[in-house]
Amino acid sequence: MTTLTPGANAPVTAGQVTVTVAFSPLPGAEIDVSAFVLDAGGKVRGDDDMCFFGQRNVNGGLVRMTEAAAGQVVFALDLAQLDSVVEKVALTATIYENQASFAAVTQLAVTLDCGIEAPIATAGMQETALILGEFYRRQGAWKFRCVAQGFAGGLEPLARHFGVEVAAKAPSPVPVPPPAPAPAPVPVAKPINLNKITLDKSRSSISLEKTGSDFGEIRINLNWNQGNASGGGGLFASFKKSNAIDLDVGCLFELQNGRKGAVQALGKSFGAFDQEPYIQLKGDDRTGAVSDGEWLHINGRHWQKIRRVLVFAFIYRGVPNWSATDGVVTLYVPGQPPIEVRVSEEGGSKGMCAIALLENDNGAVKVSRRVDFFNGHREVDEAYRWGMRWTAGSK
Amino acid sequence: MAVNLSKGGNVSLSKEAPGLTEVTVGLGWDARVTDGADFDLDASVFILGESGKVLDDNSFIFYNNKVSTDGNVEHLGDNRSGEGAGDDEQVNVKLNALTPAAKKLVFAVTIHEADARKQSFGQVSNAYIRVLNKADGKEIARYDLSEDASTETAMVFGELYRHNDEWKFKAIGQGFAGGLKPLALAHGVSVG
Repeated sequence: MTTLTPGANAPVTAGQVTVTVAFSPLPGAEIDVSAFVLDAGGKVRGDDDMCFFGQRNVNGGLVRMTEAAAGQVVFALDLAQLDSVVEKVALTATIYENQASFAAVTQLAVTLDCGIEAPIATAGMQETALILGEFYRRQGAWKFRCVAQGFAGGLEPLARHFGVEVAAKAPSPVPVPPPAPAPAPVPVAKPINLNKITLDKSRSSISLEKTGSDFGEIRINLNWNQGNASGGGGLFASFKKSNAIDLDVGCLFELQNGRKGAVQALGKSFGAFDQEPYIQLKGDDRTGAVSDGEWLHINGRHWQKIRRVLVFAFIYRGVPNWSATDGVVTLYVPGQPPIEVRVSEEGGSKGMCAIALLENDNGAVKVSRRVDFFNGHREVDEAYRWGMRWTAGSK
Repeated sequence: MAVNLSKGGNVSLSKEAPGLTEVTVGLGWDARVTDGADFDLDASVFILGESGKVLDDNSFIFYNNKVSTDGNVEHLGDNRSGEGAGDDEQVNVKLNALTPAAKKLVFAVTIHEADARKQSFGQVSNAYIRVLNKADGKEIARYDLSEDASTETAMVFGELYRHNDEWKFKAIGQGFAGGLKPLALAHGVSVG
């Protein structure tokens, strides 16, 4: 057995190699092991060059993840058959959402069944994403190098390093001030405010006062990790454990005049901006070509006519796996910091999630985080005592 | 066609570069793209006399002593990160003007603070050292440090030496433990 230290390399004598990445699991922090198939520039050519938990068989089966257990991930590589433009195959490990650095992973080693092992000393490592090692062509033959270098910034810089398009990053939770006893108005009248307000369990609601004569155009965005869809959230978005998921944004509304209804793609109830209900769905994109997700616009000039709006998302296609969708609802009100609510919990098999409730609170927009899961519209309706009648629809 | 050296290899300058009078020794590597301390590679030249020791302390040309007393060996500067295209460090040597007492020039490359930074040549992307004929810019010899010196942190790349009335180049490709200081001591430099 040849033992490699970081930087060292050795010839890979077999055309087909089984690679085992063994690590000590971290309690509460998942470690994802992946393989990137790279060209001469060290970049992936597309989605099919990324082999990971959610996509275990790439390059026509020449690169496969054959086992993924806690503490051990196994790849089968057919180096001899790989396309000639492939110059490298990099093995990586990332700690999900940068919850720890690799210093916490006491054991980490790559073993090749052709007699090469590369134990990686992790003491003191600040990185949360590591390139463990790489197969590379050298004078017509494959070699393996122990790399053991990475990024403290985690998956995102790692993915960028390999030429993976990085989608607009789902923001990490902004440090939130201590919970206010009552919903406090946001500091107002700042023309440019780059702060973002994240509603979470410690701060679940906020009230927005008017900064001008009215609220203008209130835009509500639902974005999510669009699974294996190319484009959309970009390759980066597909680098997660989910299959293609189509989320639809929609809302239930209740106007001051008592009118109730839903604005959603289902049943083609797209609403209207300049007339009741003053809420409009801005197109449903099931191809993933719109990278910024789906938008609902509320005409804030008529906010006084609106009593409440419940923003929800439902899974139109794909298996319910809410935590993997990384769904984020962001509310943009002109002159105010964006307010975001993340679907950070697991909703079991329920296909619908009530994410945020907007209420007319004496003229202010009171936004509350909900993140409640339901089996369908009817359940939501009942839970929020909306009082509507439902029939199944399709789009 | 440049000769890719391997350990112990030999290059005849009369064959590779007839009429060679001045060489440029180039050192190159890619700037670090991963997190952590930059890779800082340093090129050095020892001008040795008959005894195999430096002619004087000023015959150790490196980042802190860039020009030999007679001006015939000149280090063009220290690149501390490897950024930019082409050679990151260069040393020019006027072979035909060197004092007759100079019998041999040893070229070395070291990684600055390799031990503290836990770095070795194999962790640096595209690290090489090469000898160019300054007159026409043609590469005479090259050594791929990342590949062949992978776990080393200091290496004697090769030596130019007088043989009868001509200069020859010999590839050494020998890793050297401990970095620049022991390397300097071994060549007779008084290092404090």
